Amino acid sequence: MAHKKKRIKSSTRSQLRSKVAGIVAMFLLCLVVVFPGNANQGIDWINNNANIGIPRLPEAGFNLGLDLQGGAHLVYQANTAGLKDSERADSVEGVRDVIERRVRGGLGVAEPLVQTTRVGDDYRIIVELPGVADVSQAISMIGETPVLEFKEANDVPARDLTTEERKELDDFNGIAGKKINEALVKLKNGADFGALATEYSEDERSKVNEGNLGFINANLFPEIYTWADSHAVDEYTTEPLTSFTGLNLVKKISERDGAKQVQASHLLICYRGSNGCDEPLYSKREAKERMEKIKAEAVPENFIEYIKEYTTEPGGAEREGDLGWFGEGQMVKEFEEVVFAMENNTISDIVETEYGYHLILKIDERIQKEYEVARILVNTKKETDILPPTEEWKNTGLSGKQLERAEITENYQTGEIQVSLKFDKEGSDLFADITGRNVGQPVAIFLDGVPISIPVVNEAIMSGSAVISGSFDLNEAKLLSRRLNSGALPVPIDLISQQKVDATLGADSLEKSFKAGIIGLIFVILFMILYYRLPGLLAVVSLTIYAALVLAIFKLVGVTLTLSGIAGLILSIGIAVDANVLVFERLKEELKEGKSLKTAMEEAFIRAWSSIRDGNITTLISCAFLIWFGAGFIQGFAVTLALGVLVSMFTAFIITRTIMRLVFPWFKEEGNILFLGYKKK
Amino acid sequence: MNIPFITYSKIWVGLSASFVVISIILLFTLGLKPGIDFTGGSLMELSFDNRPEVSEIKTSLVDHEIENPVVQRTGDNGLIIRMQFLTEDEHQAVLGGLRDEFGGEENRVHEERFETIGAAISKQLRTRSMWAAIFVCLAIVLYVAYAFRRVSKPVASWKYGLLAIIALGHDVLIVMGVFALLGHFAGVEVNIAFVVALLTIMGYSVNDTIVVFDRIRENLIKRVSPDFGETINIGLNQTLMRSINTSVTTILVLLALYLFGGTTTNEFVLALMVGVISGAYSSIFLASPLLVLIERRRR
Repeated sequence: MAHKKKRIKSSTRSQLRSKVAGIVAMFLLCLVVVFPGNANQGIDWINNNANIGIPRLPEAGFNLGLDLQGGAHLVYQANTAGLKDSERADSVEGVRDVIERRVRGGLGVAEPLVQTTRVGDDYRIIVELPGVADVSQAISMIGETPVLEFKEANDVPARDLTTEERKELDDFNGIAGKKINEALVKLKNGADFGALATEYSEDERSKVNEGNLGFINANLFPEIYTWADSHAVDEYTTEPLTSFTGLNLVKKISERDGAKQVQASHLLICYRGSNGCDEPLYSKREAKERMEKIKAEAVPENFIEYIKEYTTEPGGAEREGDLGWFGEGQMVKEFEEVVFAMENNTISDIVETEYGYHLILKIDERIQKEYEVARILVNTKKETDILPPTEEWKNTGLSGKQLERAEITENYQTGEIQVSLKFDKEGSDLFADITGRNVGQPVAIFLDGVPISIPVVNEAIMSGSAVISGSFDLNEAKLLSRRLNSGALPVPIDLISQQKVDATLGADSLEKSFKAGIIGLIFVILFMILYYRLPGLLAVVSLTIYAALVLAIFKLVGVTLTLSGIAGLILSIGIAVDANVLVFERLKEELKEGKSLKTAMEEAFIRAWSSIRDGNITTLISCAFLIWFGAGFIQGFAVTLALGVLVSMFTAFIITRTIMRLVFPWFKEEGNILFLGYKKK
Repeated sequence: MNIPFITYSKIWVGLSASFVVISIILLFTLGLKPGIDFTGGSLMELSFDNRPEVSEIKTSLVDHEIENPVVQRTGDNGLIIRMQFLTEDEHQAVLGGLRDEFGGEENRVHEERFETIGAAISKQLRTRSMWAAIFVCLAIVLYVAYAFRRVSKPVASWKYGLLAIIALGHDVLIVMGVFALLGHFAGVEVNIAFVVALLTIMGYSVNDTIVVFDRIRENLIKRVSPDFGETINIGLNQTLMRSINTSVTTILVLLALYLFGGTTTNEFVLALMVGVISGAYSSIFLASPLLVLIERRRR
């Protein structure tokens, strides 16, 4: 022991100084971490006065738990009853993803925590939403399933017609039939079509022009167009022709070529700064280079592959760049000029538009005839005219279920933001049927029971793609496409627990516990100084360093501070003091035995160590099980307590001891009133 | 200063035993009042500009088909309502109903906190709590036996562990007894925070016992006295001030938290305080005298 003592005395004095310097530096560093705001003021001051650019520190606060900053903690139970064991975990992960998308996108929660846990056979999803004010809205948003439905005009009356109503309908249509036949007989007998139209037609608009409808195309009056397509000029119908509104006699007057239409696919590469380029992959120069490379390699036979790989058009890869049939005035000018001038089955040169660079594969072109016709219309009634349907729209069986993907696109012509839908196989077939039987009629797209878009069908759509164009802004369109993509939850979920803390209560709790911590610390400081005198004062110094160190570690490690965590922290102050108390009691004993100050101090630390170690390990064991126990209240407490215990061992043994080694040689080599609290005789 | 603790071993042990017996009787007669963490249910904390009477709130809740709501005042203008498990729709209905009835221009009704716990969660919490308690006890016995492995004379090292656990059981039972009383007379419920407090007390109690045993171990190795009882008594006196001072500082910080911290942690802190006091008491007046009794019996 004598040898050891000597070693301490002679060789460690300079080491001691560097140790003290190290402790001071560490303390200052901790303060900077804990109070970056004040440190930044200092940095600004130095920068202003010395004219050097020291970077400012990030002024991040502590991670506050939900109970301190307000927010909600929700636990959902996934109902996996109908699933195979092997599928359960995956399905629940799917639910997790959907919920995360909904809370991030739909609610705009920046840092939600969404995780799955398994308890026995139960799968649960825990959702933490910090800072969310309207928890009720959050809950309904998480649980809701957006319902997308395609509906067509309802032609089914609310109920079967009564005999009287049936009779009324038959009478009306009987009269209409007689009237049109009367006209037909006159027509066959050589009467003038125009005169008959003026006499018989119930179409007020055309009646004044001797029944002339002007030039029609397939979109307007599809039944009449179909008839005109197969009959020569000056022919007229020999049977009444049924259309949506009634019975027609039609005469074809002349025909002409309509506008040219082309069918094409294109490959678009947008670049930083081009219109509608949300996620630019290329600069303008790079985009051009890429295009030149593709142009050099691509031939019509493999062009689709290039589109799939390179196009930056939203949804373009899936549609294989298909633009369908389009006429003049539907595309931007530069694009249109090129595509209308091209040969079929060729690839264009690079075309530059406001959207970026295009390569166009022209597939086909056609000219649709337009026919000038005149008609005599006699209105008929349908069941729904007698008895309107209860619902204006009826289901078609096509819904979000058959949706493969929804994306935001932009209408090339108008620049309008729209949401493109791509259906799966079943959906594509259904959609083709629906559009086929509703050419010229509106089809309504309903979201959550509200019609959001009611486009009129121009032609049957076989490609399985549709577009919802409402008056969206970009954000609304993004939200809609995200909601549609997230679709129905793969597994139904039940909210089995919610904990919600209002932000004001959280702030109040934070302030109160902070105050309590400070007051507790002051109590302890007073007690230590009054009871242990000089060593007590030194312990207070190391306790202050302890507090700074613990807070700095919390911040650096990213410990989430909760109310219980602060309780754990405050409790750990008591434990930090305990290590010092053990040493000091031992010191007193050693001094009473007549040992010199220095020897007594070194002995005290050595002998107190086993007690401190063994005692703290049991606390750490408790903490370990508490951390295992679960999330929330318990973990916050256990983590801060455990960290506090570990740091307290460090401060007691390294910092208090170093300070004592520094300070004790300033006094006489025996215990006195400063250490013992009484004079030694 | 030499207080003859060991001379009165039987009295101390008897005293502790009677505390424990009383606690057990309280637990069986009054029982702990389980909170929503363990039974499932809902807790709603509201604040008002003008707090209505508890009875008015109760009547209104019963009108909303809430069975047996428990309504307590909290703070100057707050109320805590405990009731059965509510779905989110029911929650909004109840809250809306209270707002319609008591809210208005002059009386803003604000929901500060809402917790609801379903049966699945409360069941999980119950079993988890039980397992955590069992594991903590086991781990501590093993650790203490390990720490004292070199001191096997005159008492086997595992017996130190056993005694530490007896002291621990004593502390935990006394805290539970106190909360059984509080539950009966002040409506204090035990929740997860209470279990956390108990598990912390376990660690703390053993910590205290170990410090005392550690000193006894040192004295035994040093052979400070030929008599086992005397050796222990010397150890107790040597660690007495430490036990008191550590408890005092810990109680000081807990007291600060109890008095100045938020109401949310009050009961948690109270449990810890009772446990800390009991822990300090049991190391001196229960574990060490028992050690002497075991040693005497062995002879």
